[in-house]
Amino acid sequence: MSNVFGIDLSALQAFQQAIEVTSNNVANANTPGYDVESIDLATAPPQSAGGLSIGAGVAVDGISRAYSQAAATQYNNSQSSLGQLNALQNYTSQIDNLFGTTAGGLTTALQTYYSAWSTVADDPTSSASRQALLGDATALAQNLNSTSSQLNALNSDVNTRISADVSQINSLSTQIASLNQQIAGSAGSTQAPNTLLDQRDQLVSNLSQIAGVTVTGNTDGSINVFVGSGQPLVLDGNAYTLTTVPNQFNSSQLEVASTSSNGSSISSSITSGDLGGLLAARTQAIDPALNQLGRIATAVTQSANAQQASGLDLNGQLGGALFSIAAPTASASSANSDTTTASVTLSNVGALTSDNYLLSYKGGAYTLTDQTTGANVALTGAGTTASPLQAAGLSIVLSGTPASGDQFQIQPTAQAAGSIRVTLADPSGIAAAGAVVSSAADTNTGTGSIGAATVVDPTNANLLSTATIAFTSPTTYTINGAGNYTYTAGGKIAANGWQVQISGAPATGDTFTVQSNAGGTGDNTNALAFANQQSQGYLSNGTESISGAVSALISGAGALAQQVNTAQTAQTAVNTQAQTNLQSVTGVNLDEEAAKLVQWQQAYQASAQALAIANGLFTTFLDSVNGTYS
Amino acid sequence: MRITQGIEQSQFLTALNQLESNISTTQNGISTGLSFSTASQDPVAAGLVSGYNQVLAQSQQFTSNGQSAQGSLNIEDNALTQAQSQLQSLRDLALEANNATESGANLSAIATQVQQIQQTLLSVANTQDGSGNYIFAGYSTQTQPFALTTTGASYSGDQGQRQVQLAAGQTVVVGDNGDLVFNQTKTGNGTFNVTADAANAGSGIIGATSVSDPSAYAGGSYQIQFTAPGTYQVLNSANAVVTTGTYTNGQAISFAGIQVTLSGTPATGDTFAVAPSTNQSIFTTVQNLVNALQRASTTTQESTSLNNTIANTIDNLDQALNQVQTVQSSVGARLNTITTQQSTATAQQTQLQQSISTLQSLNYPQAITNLDSQNTTLSAAMQAYTLTEGLSLFKYIS
Repeated sequence: MSNVFGIDLSALQAFQQAIEVTSNNVANANTPGYDVESIDLATAPPQSAGGLSIGAGVAVDGISRAYSQAAATQYNNSQSSLGQLNALQNYTSQIDNLFGTTAGGLTTALQTYYSAWSTVADDPTSSASRQALLGDATALAQNLNSTSSQLNALNSDVNTRISADVSQINSLSTQIASLNQQIAGSAGSTQAPNTLLDQRDQLVSNLSQIAGVTVTGNTDGSINVFVGSGQPLVLDGNAYTLTTVPNQFNSSQLEVASTSSNGSSISSSITSGDLGGLLAARTQAIDPALNQLGRIATAVTQSANAQQASGLDLNGQLGGALFSIAAPTASASSANSDTTTASVTLSNVGALTSDNYLLSYKGGAYTLTDQTTGANVALTGAGTTASPLQAAGLSIVLSGTPASGDQFQIQPTAQAAGSIRVTLADPSGIAAAGAVVSSAADTNTGTGSIGAATVVDPTNANLLSTATIAFTSPTTYTINGAGNYTYTAGGKIAANGWQVQISGAPATGDTFTVQSNAGGTGDNTNALAFANQQSQGYLSNGTESISGAVSALISGAGALAQQVNTAQTAQTAVNTQAQTNLQSVTGVNLDEEAAKLVQWQQAYQASAQALAIANGLFTTFLDSVNGTYS
Repeated sequence: MRITQGIEQSQFLTALNQLESNISTTQNGISTGLSFSTASQDPVAAGLVSGYNQVLAQSQQFTSNGQSAQGSLNIEDNALTQAQSQLQSLRDLALEANNATESGANLSAIATQVQQIQQTLLSVANTQDGSGNYIFAGYSTQTQPFALTTTGASYSGDQGQRQVQLAAGQTVVVGDNGDLVFNQTKTGNGTFNVTADAANAGSGIIGATSVSDPSAYAGGSYQIQFTAPGTYQVLNSANAVVTTGTYTNGQAISFAGIQVTLSGTPATGDTFAVAPSTNQSIFTTVQNLVNALQRASTTTQESTSLNNTIANTIDNLDQALNQVQTVQSSVGARLNTITTQQSTATAQQTQLQQSISTLQSLNYPQAITNLDSQNTTLSAAMQAYTLTEGLSLFKYIS
């Protein structure tokens, strides 16, 4: 009879615990990382009575949590990918918004600038149109400065967020390591430390959002967590911290380093999670946009200054520079073993790209690698002043012979957009006129006519000296009395850095003069050439105009933003699916818990009823016994 | 599939965000009228629109260049018309002076008139545009190009010709330098020039001259020399006799493709030089006329000299008129080019604006339909959510 009480008691206790587990599930229905728990019931070992084996009630074996390693890993990986895209999208969309459909007003500023040149060409002596041109040039430079500083602000934002991410990773690693210790401590007990496991899973999931991690399990229940290409974050109960270090070439950019990598950057191996997205935003979106903008600024500067140098200003002087701009930079790696420096100058705008380059010296030879494409670029020269290294429109001179293994990062245009300034302050300094003017003597009797002289080498010291082309016979001529050149009708005659065409049939004794155009203030030859620049192929070896480069900048940034948006939308769907999969295993379904509550309640009521019946039976028995003996 | 309330909520929130973001994009489009406001919404179209806008702005600049060129050319056209009428007046005065009956007093009056016209011509040659630029100074627009001298006028401009861009690769010359218009005028008949020697004693006057046989004409200088009254010989520059002949008043002397008509009675030893035409400034021609008119012409020799100078002047004035007319017709042709280019540019601009509009303008009916359907989806999603969330077994447990 006492067995009945035992059975009922075990049932009441078990069902009470079951209701507690269910209530706990309901209570934690919205707790992040909580895995739904269920009670494991088993029959208690039976007792033998007179050859019969009667069950001894119910026993609680344990409380287990619903968990799927596969679903959790899938979800964590998807979180890493989504985290990367979310971070990247934040920056690509900011650049997309910054550029809009006009590259932040750059198209308008550039167009206004060229139109101003045209207006100067229409009336070269008007000081109003010259002043307007200086104003429009300043507006163009300021537009480039402001866009560049906004992009630089994004880069500082990336730095701040990298630091924040790294400290969060370190905090999470420490917590995981500490949970590892507690979990390993409870190894061997029959009841699994469900709450600790839930907490640790949640921490790993949080970590996955920041950086993609690899998790391996140990027999004592602890886990190891690795980041990047296998740098440990957590090994058993120990956490390994990540740190931020300045980029070896550019101290203003932070990189991620691990204590296990001896402080060297592991950034390139972090490709997922928020951190991966930040690093990608820098290398794929912000820096390329800055470089492209810088390439446009460089082209604007070079074209303007070269054209200025080929013409005369209102004072009859060869034009001075209109814009100033920072030269390409060459930064030595902080890991270089000596102090050799490199200096870079621009030698050919046409060959200029918007990529950065890595110059390495090893085994007595230089190699140049395009950091965007990863391709090697052919180099000529020896790196000395007499024979600079030449590649990609750049000319590189090293201060000495570098140590083997030295590296230099070359950024041809990164600083350009931020540094472009208008240096010409005086409107009369605008070189609207051509440098030289040609004329035919009125006494000429032949039909020879001379075309406009064009400047081919503005640096020629004799450019502005008067030169006389005198015909010694209908087929021969001298220049300033020298030489006896053969005349070809329509052929080009070059001297003193200019070039001119004489056509027709000059007679013996005919003279033509090419001289300084000082005083030719009404000339607009040079201004006209300026206005023409916008549609000329100035970049990409003559195939891309400056306007074309701006259009390419806009559609390039737009295409990247679109690509990232699309990938983000797709990854969001994948992530929702992974989350649904995981939740379908581990989540709390309230209806299910309600049903269970009813189930346990009924079972509890039944057991209580059984106890009442047993009690009744026992009372009946006692009453009958009392009746017999009273 | 086991669905939990948590996932239902989170999925609903994700969907809600997406729907609201779509509505916001559509709304933004409707309020701006643009089918895209950032390049990412349509990178290809954004690149094209940027390119088209730059071509459009450039084309508009070309139109404005053309208008500026039209202004300059119209000023030049007026100046040239004025120059022609002055030259015509000069020619009329020269013809009047050529009349043998004119008295010395009359000639001097004519000289005064010629001088006045010379002043007017000078002011035409020094014409300034609205901005104070000298239009006939070449590039040196700030320098007054012409100033009278004792032999004509000096030219301080240059031979530059300002150009204005009308279209990509097409420029038009907006000015002609004064050297070309006023100085590069050929003397004589434009090919060669005949002058009477200052020491001629007879009354031989130069009449019509021409190239009678272009194939025989080879340039070079000649002298028609009267060896006896009624007999002449023609010497070349090497003093070799080219031809000889008997002179008849008013009859042409022909040699080496050249035909020269002389009238009057040349004396023995009189010579007439034939030389290829050279450039001579209009102002020099006029000054020569003034000088000749102011000289006394009482003797036969003097009046013959005057007549010969006037004959030369008329030849030169005809060349000058011809030169000015040539320049003016070239100005007219340039004005036509600009007009043609302007209408081409207008058509191009319309086309570009249309292309930009096609790429960039919002399709309103479609956008509004989209907005409507997006709104419907959003409210349906909200309703569905409240319905499913209302379902809970706990409601039925009492």
